[in-house]
Amino acid sequence: MKEEQTDFNLEEAFKQLEKTVETLEREDISLEESFKAYKSGMELLKQCDKEIDRVEKRVLVLDEDGESHEF
Amino acid sequence: MQNVYTVGQINSYIKNMFVQDFLLQEVSVKGEISNCKYHSSGHIYFTLKDAKGIIACVLFAGNRKGLSFRLLEGMQVVVRGSIDVYERDGKYQMYAKTIRQDGEGALYERFERLKRELLERGMFAPEYKKPIPGFIRTLGVVTAPTGAAVRDIINIASRRNPYVQIVLYPAVVQGEEAAASIVRGIRMLEKRQVDVMIVGRGGGSIEDLWAFNEEIVAQAVFDCGVPVISAVGHETDTTIIDYVADLRAPTPSAAAELAVYDVALLEARLAGCGQTLNRQISAQLRLKRAEWKALEAKLKKNSPLGRIREKRSYLLSTEERIAAAMKNRILKERHRLALYIEQMKGLSPLDKLNQGYSYVSDEMGRTVTDVNRITVGEQLQIYVKNGTIYTSVTGKEFIDRKGKES
Repeated sequence: MKEEQTDFNLEEAFKQLEKTVETLEREDISLEESFKAYKSGMELLKQCDKEIDRVEKRVLVLDEDGESHEF
Repeated sequence: MQNVYTVGQINSYIKNMFVQDFLLQEVSVKGEISNCKYHSSGHIYFTLKDAKGIIACVLFAGNRKGLSFRLLEGMQVVVRGSIDVYERDGKYQMYAKTIRQDGEGALYERFERLKRELLERGMFAPEYKKPIPGFIRTLGVVTAPTGAAVRDIINIASRRNPYVQIVLYPAVVQGEEAAASIVRGIRMLEKRQVDVMIVGRGGGSIEDLWAFNEEIVAQAVFDCGVPVISAVGHETDTTIIDYVADLRAPTPSAAAELAVYDVALLEARLAGCGQTLNRQISAQLRLKRAEWKALEAKLKKNSPLGRIREKRSYLLSTEERIAAAMKNRILKERHRLALYIEQMKGLSPLDKLNQGYSYVSDEMGRTVTDVNRITVGEQLQIYVKNGTIYTSVTGKEFIDRKGKES
């Protein structure tokens, strides 16, 4: 499954967000940099949101042949 | 009169009855060990007893492989063997072939043995434990398709995150087929490439949970490429796969909580991150604006416009000073002039004329001051206060005023 997934990873994303916020918290950062950080942070958030595949799943049951049916 | 038998005859008769009895040739008896003697010959003599009675037992040295533990007083065991008569003593006793610990005791022994073995093989080693991923998309479940365990897992998993796909392998979880069924389930879900797998069942007796203590199940969990969470029975139940699994959950419900992240919490966290980002960028903007303000003030202070104004006002004041000085000067000169006018007034010939004096000039307009310079008959003009008199010289007389004066 992991290989099939995009290389996007929520845990990584949170780490990245943390870093972005830290960057933004610095006072010596230039306005351009802060905008860049903000933009990348917001994009990351949007991506995270997209990553939560909001489709309710039904339980699948595997039979002996590896076929799945709804529970 | 009845027949009379010898002791030997009667004992032989009784022995024969025992030998012909089908049940007594192969029977299992359970009881408590007492009077246990390990004889130097290798035979073991002991008595099996329970509340209602006792029976003498012997385990011959040749059958020692049927005993895998040391017999201890008071131990509950199941002895399998035959019951026969010892004619010489007129006693019957049990000839044990195998002895196992009774019920839980025996299972406990197997459990401990396998646990030790797997431990020695390194199968419990922490370096083999795979981390449980924090955010999964698919959850595999190997458990019975009915019962509280599967219900709890599905309920909790879908309550926490309805967007996680659950794939259930309906396994047989107790009885003879259980171990093989569980192993099949683990392999199929691994092939299916779920992100994490829960293997377990609800609570039960140690016999009910036994499949999870089987070596093939432990091996399958160990070999599984997908992280496995074990969830067998209740908190107090520990099975072999709990040691082998990547994570041990005390119950199936707990396993579902460990495997499936709470989507509401995640969303809250994302929202929090968004707020922080917004707050930070606002703070940055405020900061930059303040910096801008400070710079603006600084710049304004040093603006050329200010300089120009300064110069202009300097110019203006200088101009005023010049004008004032000039005015002053003119005033002064004017005073001087007035003074001269006053002085001049005193010397004016007109004034003299006013006082009754007159002024005489010849025809050329030259002032006549010397009587010797004019001739009789010459035309002269006499200027008086209010006009001119034209006259001619009728006579002249020289008077030496110098001599008179001196």
